[in-house]
Amino acid sequence: MSRLLRAEVSKLRTVWSTWVLLGVTAVVVGGIMTLVGFAPHRRGVTDLLFPARGTAVWFDSALSVMTIAIDLALVLGVIMTTGEFRHKTVTPTFLVEPRRGRVVASKLVVGGGGGLVVAAVAGAVGLVFGFAVVGGGIGTAGRMLTEYRHVWPGVAAASVLFGLYGVGLGALLKNQAVSLAVGLGASAVVEPIVTAALPSVGRWLPGQAAQALESVTARPQASGFGTSVVHLVPWWAGALVLLGYGVVLATAGTLTTVRGDVT
Amino acid sequence: MATIEVQGLTKRFGAVLAVDDLSFAVEPGMVTGFLGPNGAGKTTTLRMLLGLVRPTAGRALVNGVAYRDLAEPTRVVGAVLESSGFHPARTARHHLRAMATAAGVPHTRVDEVLDTVGLAADGDRRVGGFSMGMRQRLELARALLGDPEVLILDEPANGLDPQGIAWLRSFLRWFAGRDRVVLVSSHLLAEAAQTVDDVVVLTHGRMAGQGRLQELLRGAATTVRVRTPDAERLVPLLAAAGIRAARPAPDLVEAAATTPEAVGRVMADNGVLVLEMSSSGESLESLFFEMTGTVSGSAPAPPPPPPPAGAPSPGDDHGVGP
Repeated sequence: MSRLLRAEVSKLRTVWSTWVLLGVTAVVVGGIMTLVGFAPHRRGVTDLLFPARGTAVWFDSALSVMTIAIDLALVLGVIMTTGEFRHKTVTPTFLVEPRRGRVVASKLVVGGGGGLVVAAVAGAVGLVFGFAVVGGGIGTAGRMLTEYRHVWPGVAAASVLFGLYGVGLGALLKNQAVSLAVGLGASAVVEPIVTAALPSVGRWLPGQAAQALESVTARPQASGFGTSVVHLVPWWAGALVLLGYGVVLATAGTLTTVRGDVT
Repeated sequence: MATIEVQGLTKRFGAVLAVDDLSFAVEPGMVTGFLGPNGAGKTTTLRMLLGLVRPTAGRALVNGVAYRDLAEPTRVVGAVLESSGFHPARTARHHLRAMATAAGVPHTRVDEVLDTVGLAADGDRRVGGFSMGMRQRLELARALLGDPEVLILDEPANGLDPQGIAWLRSFLRWFAGRDRVVLVSSHLLAEAAQTVDDVVVLTHGRMAGQGRLQELLRGAATTVRVRTPDAERLVPLLAAAGIRAARPAPDLVEAAATTPEAVGRVMADNGVLVLEMSSSGESLESLFFEMTGTVSGSAPAPPPPPPPAGAPSPGDDHGVGP
């Protein structure tokens, strides 16, 4: 099994798409934090979106851009499974390890690890820009770090589980574009609608489960739009739900599409 | 000792019966050709042997066990498959290293196999820039990673240049010569005839024949051509002896599905003057057509070449044009 794990890591390391993904993570986090932290202060839009600069709540909002890591971890996981079908590398992969469940299991593990790496990149860039903002005379380092500790751990935990979720989704759907559309579309479009209409159902969906996980360390009343966190499931339930999405989808995929003939 | 054994192997894809109750065994120490027309079920059979396609019925065994039950499949079987994939952005060496890691093969072996297949200088290039022949070599390099006892190759000569084909031929001979098993599918009969010792011929998913190529060729019927001034007389004489013959030219007789001995005897018995005599068809190709029930040249005529650019198309007659 450790051979398969190492092989999966090696597959990720040796394609540019992985590095592009990490680069995108860094650029998005750094870019938005620059925009938020250093854009000339004008009355209007930013006032609506962000509280007064340098306050704890402002830092919390600015650092929340690190949550992009969660979606990008999903993308990484999806690519890990669908990429094999897309480039037909699934043939040599299954020749080396004909017990396909083991291949999917090792992808789940490495997908989770990959999610953590994405979160680490987002976290490192977030921290660097956090200090840069403080160095620019906005707020204090102590306040920034306090808020950082509110945001990053939840993002990291959710990213790990979204990496698994992506692997599972890709294993079941096989097609890269479809898997990405379903995975990202679900969290961007379907979930907000379902959650608004049926909060009792919506809270079990991946995005809400991730929020539950983030809420462990999150600042009380952090949400800027008055969406209360009361409807969220407990953090541990969120973690179990996300783990469940990954494992159940991967198992379903292993028993259906992955089990199929490789022609 | 390494073996391949197929017993009652059947595969149905929906309404299509791709492989139908196929049984054969492949012996070590020689190169076995796996031949058949397009769609005969060759690739499906090979993929069932490799655990990639699940048989509907029957068994496909390597060294007596199913591929999926081999503890270290890479060390037992090397497979070169068509449409096996490479990530275009990954270098050849990284592709092989990932596979070697998964198989528990040391990375030093990667450089060895790259060298064996003649890709030593291209190891750090991305596979996306490889020609088809180079991909085929890389695929063979991957197959050799575990130093296997059995090689299964599906159309390995595809995309190879003449030197590559000649190299592959000598490689397979060398490999089989070490008492190992080689099963190689091909549709290039002239090439296969030079490479294989044994043949398994498949048609419509069923066994059409198996045996030593030389023995099969000896027993194969041939076409005998005779140039003789007595052509008109010879045709009915041959027919009387049960030999089907035709007279394509006034002084030429063509006897089909027979042997030079049989025709020669008829001519000697009847005092037919022979000016020239030749026989043809002792080839794998004619044997193949005979076994698979297809006829040489029976393919539909190629479509006429497209008209030169600017020439009026037939559709213009109907006034559709401007």
